[in-house]
Amino acid sequence: MTDTQDRQRSGLGFVGQRVKRVEDERFLRGAGTYVADVQPDGVLHAAFLRSPYPHATINSINVNKASRLDGVAKVFTGAELNDVTNPFLPFFMLEGLYTPLYKCMSDDKVRHVGDVVALVVAESRYIAEDALELIDVDYTELPSIASIDDALTPGRVQLWDKANGNVLGDIDASYGNVDEIFAKADHVITRTLDCPRQTNQPMETRGTVVEVDPQTGHLDIHNTSQAPHMLKWATAALLVNEGGFKNLGKFVKNAERRSAFLGAAKSFVTTNKEKLKASDPAGQKSQFEKDKSMVKHQMRMASGLLAADDYPTVKAVDIGGAFGSKGPVTREDIAVAAAAKQLGRSVQWIEDRVENLQDGGQAREERFDVSIAVDADGTLRGMKVDAYLDQGAYPAFPISSAIIPQLWKLYMPGPYNFEAFELNTKVLATNKGRVVPYRGPWANETFMRERMLDIVAGELGMSPADLRAKNVMREGSMPDAFITGPSIDETMSVAKTLDRALEMIDFDQLEEDKAAAEARGHKLGLGIASYHEAAPGPPNFFSSAQPGSDMFLYEDGRAEVEADGSIKMYTSQSPHGQSHQTTYMQVAADELGVPMEDVEIVWGNTDRTQFSFLGTGGSRGGPLGAGVMRMTAREVRNQVVEVAADMLEAASGDIEIVDGNIHVAGVPAKGITYADVAAKVATDKRISSGAVFSEEMKYEGVGNGGWSVATHVAWVDIDLETGMVEIPRYLVVEDCGPIINPGVVDGQVRGGVAQGIGAVFYEKHHYDDNANLLSATYMDYLIPTAMEIPEIDIEHMETLTSGENDARGTGEGGMIGAPAALTNAVSDALGVEVHEQYLPPYRLLELAGVITPD
Amino acid sequence: MKNPPFTYHRPTTVDEALALLAEFGDDGKVLAGGQSLLPVMALRLGSPEHIIDIGSIDELATITVGDGVTIGAMVRHAEAEKSADIASQAPLIAAAMPYVGHRAIRSRGTVVGSIAHADGAAEMPAVCLATGATMSIASADGTREVAAADFFQGFFTTALEANELLTAVHFPAWSPTAGGSVVEIARRHGDYAMCGLACSIDVPNGTITEAALSFFSVAGQPIRVAEAEQALIGKPATESSFADAATVVAEHLDPTGDIHATANYRRQLATVLTRRGLAEAASRIGVPA
Amino acid sequence: MSSSSSSQSPASRSVSVDPDATLDVSVTINGDTHQLVIEPRRSLADVIREDVGLTGTHLGCEHGVCGACTVMVNGEPSRACLMLAVQADGADITTIEGLANDDGSMHPIQQAMHEAMSFQCAFCSPGFLMSTVALLRDNPSPSTDEIREELSGNLCRCTGYQSIVDGVETAVSLINSGGAA
Repeated sequence: MTDTQDRQRSGLGFVGQRVKRVEDERFLRGAGTYVADVQPDGVLHAAFLRSPYPHATINSINVNKASRLDGVAKVFTGAELNDVTNPFLPFFMLEGLYTPLYKCMSDDKVRHVGDVVALVVAESRYIAEDALELIDVDYTELPSIASIDDALTPGRVQLWDKANGNVLGDIDASYGNVDEIFAKADHVITRTLDCPRQTNQPMETRGTVVEVDPQTGHLDIHNTSQAPHMLKWATAALLVNEGGFKNLGKFVKNAERRSAFLGAAKSFVTTNKEKLKASDPAGQKSQFEKDKSMVKHQMRMASGLLAADDYPTVKAVDIGGAFGSKGPVTREDIAVAAAAKQLGRSVQWIEDRVENLQDGGQAREERFDVSIAVDADGTLRGMKVDAYLDQGAYPAFPISSAIIPQLWKLYMPGPYNFEAFELNTKVLATNKGRVVPYRGPWANETFMRERMLDIVAGELGMSPADLRAKNVMREGSMPDAFITGPSIDETMSVAKTLDRALEMIDFDQLEEDKAAAEARGHKLGLGIASYHEAAPGPPNFFSSAQPGSDMFLYEDGRAEVEADGSIKMYTSQSPHGQSHQTTYMQVAADELGVPMEDVEIVWGNTDRTQFSFLGTGGSRGGPLGAGVMRMTAREVRNQVVEVAADMLEAASGDIEIVDGNIHVAGVPAKGITYADVAAKVATDKRISSGAVFSEEMKYEGVGNGGWSVATHVAWVDIDLETGMVEIPRYLVVEDCGPIINPGVVDGQVRGGVAQGIGAVFYEKHHYDDNANLLSATYMDYLIPTAMEIPEIDIEHMETLTSGENDARGTGEGGMIGAPAALTNAVSDALGVEVHEQYLPPYRLLELAGVITPD
Repeated sequence: MKNPPFTYHRPTTVDEALALLAEFGDDGKVLAGGQSLLPVMALRLGSPEHIIDIGSIDELATITVGDGVTIGAMVRHAEAEKSADIASQAPLIAAAMPYVGHRAIRSRGTVVGSIAHADGAAEMPAVCLATGATMSIASADGTREVAAADFFQGFFTTALEANELLTAVHFPAWSPTAGGSVVEIARRHGDYAMCGLACSIDVPNGTITEAALSFFSVAGQPIRVAEAEQALIGKPATESSFADAATVVAEHLDPTGDIHATANYRRQLATVLTRRGLAEAASRIGVPA
Repeated sequence: MSSSSSSQSPASRSVSVDPDATLDVSVTINGDTHQLVIEPRRSLADVIREDVGLTGTHLGCEHGVCGACTVMVNGEPSRACLMLAVQADGADITTIEGLANDDGSMHPIQQAMHEAMSFQCAFCSPGFLMSTVALLRDNPSPSTDEIREELSGNLCRCTGYQSIVDGVETAVSLINSGGAA
């Protein structure tokens, strides 16, 4: 073990400590820089005209009156912006999946309430909104597809002309001998489980401020993006508005660009040789069969990118939460950038809450027809699932919700020893808002499986705890890999969390509490749910879902010591509440032997940080993001030590760095500093500023596991007169390995559980039977408050591995476990099977038999 | 979500305000605390051409005691909440206060504004209806008084004409032998109720002589269930009387359903709240329930 | 007959202002008096953020639910999105930027929220801080239930609230142990 690990595990150093947040210094004083706080001189304000209809054709649009309004700089119709931009192309392709192409605006048809039809740019947002009211659009309403059932019904109106009906994806996966297992098992238990639509709802909406340099035309895009580099390249590609061949010629003539490109391409191919070879072209074929125009657009974008003189810079400083919703590049991002470019003026668009509820990101409306094969003694044998996913109107870019079945197929059997598993998923188009990743985007598989386990236990007359304990993967009999492919190591410690949780439940007390609740006219129940998530998962995780799909999943980072001795750590993460700045300072300071405040973390500016496809997402910031900080800091430290050893006339092995004092072991009084060493190198190399030591790295993580796991236990008390719910206790026993900062981890867990509580008892994004949005304001989309979220007890397990950097991610887990634990508790309380995730008070009383449905 | 343009008027006397209302009528809208009007405008669900801000009319910011209590149009919820006069003279207002939005809403919003806004899901209109409050209405043509029962006419609809201002609401003297309560069930703390009840019973000597059951969030306007009130008269203030009344409520109330509460659920809540509300009202006057 | 009146009127002068015209408004924010020229329809929140340049007050929903824009107006917590700036004529306003002590050190409530690691993305934090100021001024030793009730007018999507409640409780002990509020 290295020194760092020793320090961490013995509680020395910063890592492992509850270090208070560095970010607070600006946030608590109101001095953060969120996107709406970026107000360049003379910036114009944008507002979108959005469709009031779920589905309609646009016959004509008249912007004359709006254009003449005082203070309006320009009203862009959809067609005008579409003329100067490329369509969003499918990036994520799968066999059996068609992803429709769409442009940044709608000019012939609208497909959901809130669909973007025109863009007003004006001196203020007030005036821009005034102008919206002066735009005349002549629509012809079409019938709409409002539900999973609508989308599955043949012969209904179609959202996308080139699709077969509204089933855009029909995706299969199968592991083990399913037919045989189901034929031989003692019981097959079949149910349908439903999950409602939710929306991420970060407290800060989306926003983009596109600054245009009047001299060069360069775009500085201040944006709420979780993935600034993706936004940069998507914007560059989608703003290409010239034909292919002209650009290709321009590229060929530009020797510098040509060699840069060829170098980058060669390096990419070399690095990803195996992955490229493994990748399956079936997805591309499926796409091309439906829409051949992709080639033309790809050519145009590629040649345009190659020929471009300049690419936008994306800057994300402080982001007010996202929970996945700010990962995708959105139509508004492109439309506003195109408008700014056309006008040569800086333009700001700050989404308002109504827009955010309409299309800021929605999630989780899914249905599962599931069968579980089980033996009479409770041995789980097989699982078969038909899943239906309501994608809404426009697929998210670059990764559509069709990624979710790819994750389901790996996760669905959970931490249990199923022998066979089969999944068919239908990805459906409906006239609703865009589905985006939402904190554990695949999480409904845990709800489905863990709810089913309770149902199976009920059918067999077993306790849900016993059924889980019997089937959970345990040390000693742990397989090397899941039947679905990904490998397993000691981090697959669900059994430990389950056993610990069961120890922490006082079942005798529970019976007493149930009786006491009954005496008050209430019902009390307890629910358990366990899960595992890849955070970051083993190296073969993504390739198990789709060979070659892990090509862009490196985490890049860079450590630098500058000529003046200052230390800068560059991350490609885009923090939005996860306290990266604090935790990365902890990690780097420990490696470098300096006080935390000596380390500056640089993020969010694409000119300064390295490319990252994902930015922040997928619970990777701890294991991979902090991992690359640690590894690069260590290398830079080694470089510094080499020089310092010379300066101190000692062997590098004898050098210690403590609190920034670089010295020979045992002689701290004769120490030098990073500034001294940097100055020496700067003088020797005649460098006056910038990096004198630098280390850059692509990092893929270590080990064969990388599993983050937990068991959740919920106690739910229901007033049988009113259906009102209290959660007297909520327990999370989690294992995310060695914790960098317990304060941060606890916050992530609790925040996730709170969203899970919201999902079950408060939050449903309601569309009516015609796909009109009913929960269109915060009066109707109910985010729980401090009165609804209880205290949440957390027990940490911290399984260590033989590798280092074995911290596992924990950002998503709270949300994954909570809906299952809560609905299981409700089922236990009421003594009825619960088949749905959303349980408002009226529904609880219906389930309890107190009232009948209307 | 930005307010549409309007001409802004800030009169300092009631007469000035009435003159403005006379001039602009349907095109004008009175702004008091703004906690209901401003969201409507920001959402551009309403775009009044003239906003008449009565916030600078000092004579409207008064709480007057005399045969009950009269609350002026600029008395904010937070002031009503703190007022000992209101607590003693109109205890149902005090009882309703903790349910009205959140503190930051109560520090701006006004009691009378909530009444004039006439949201069927809000507490204040139901309290008016339960207590038999009287609306003091002024226009350039003079003043008139309208009983609460005649004032609320449906979904956000009242007896107020476009040129009129609701200057004050008078709550009649509270009988010393009467107990009242406001109870409600909301999705989250501070939300509009899924169903609520403002109720009172007068029990001067062992039996109920007067009863009011005023439900909110069951229809476009608050609803009194006279049959259930009648069923209470002459009965002792006991759990069994209240349960009987609750049964009558269930028979006569015909609530609407929405995304938060089905009609059957609202009816269930109404019966539960009848029992709970009356029990709480009885306990306020120390009547054994 | 007795009568009580709270004098709260911002101005004694009657005005009428056309939609395109502006009104001269005087507001004191964090101790500094600003003479502002504003269109009547603009919200107090927008004016604080754009005209005064104090961007610590955040807009989360603009319809009065989320509480992120909460500021103190004449000592009372108010939604800055649900006030016209002209309604604040003559008012004394405190925003999150006005909380720190004169020497620049954090207000005990800020310090406590730091200790408790109360926030994550912190977009909601200005509203929570101002609501806490109001709570502790009127109720210096609130129970946990009282804290939760008082803070229920502010939405946070990151934390599950426990760390914020802890922050308020930490503030109570900081203030009661001598850190002046």
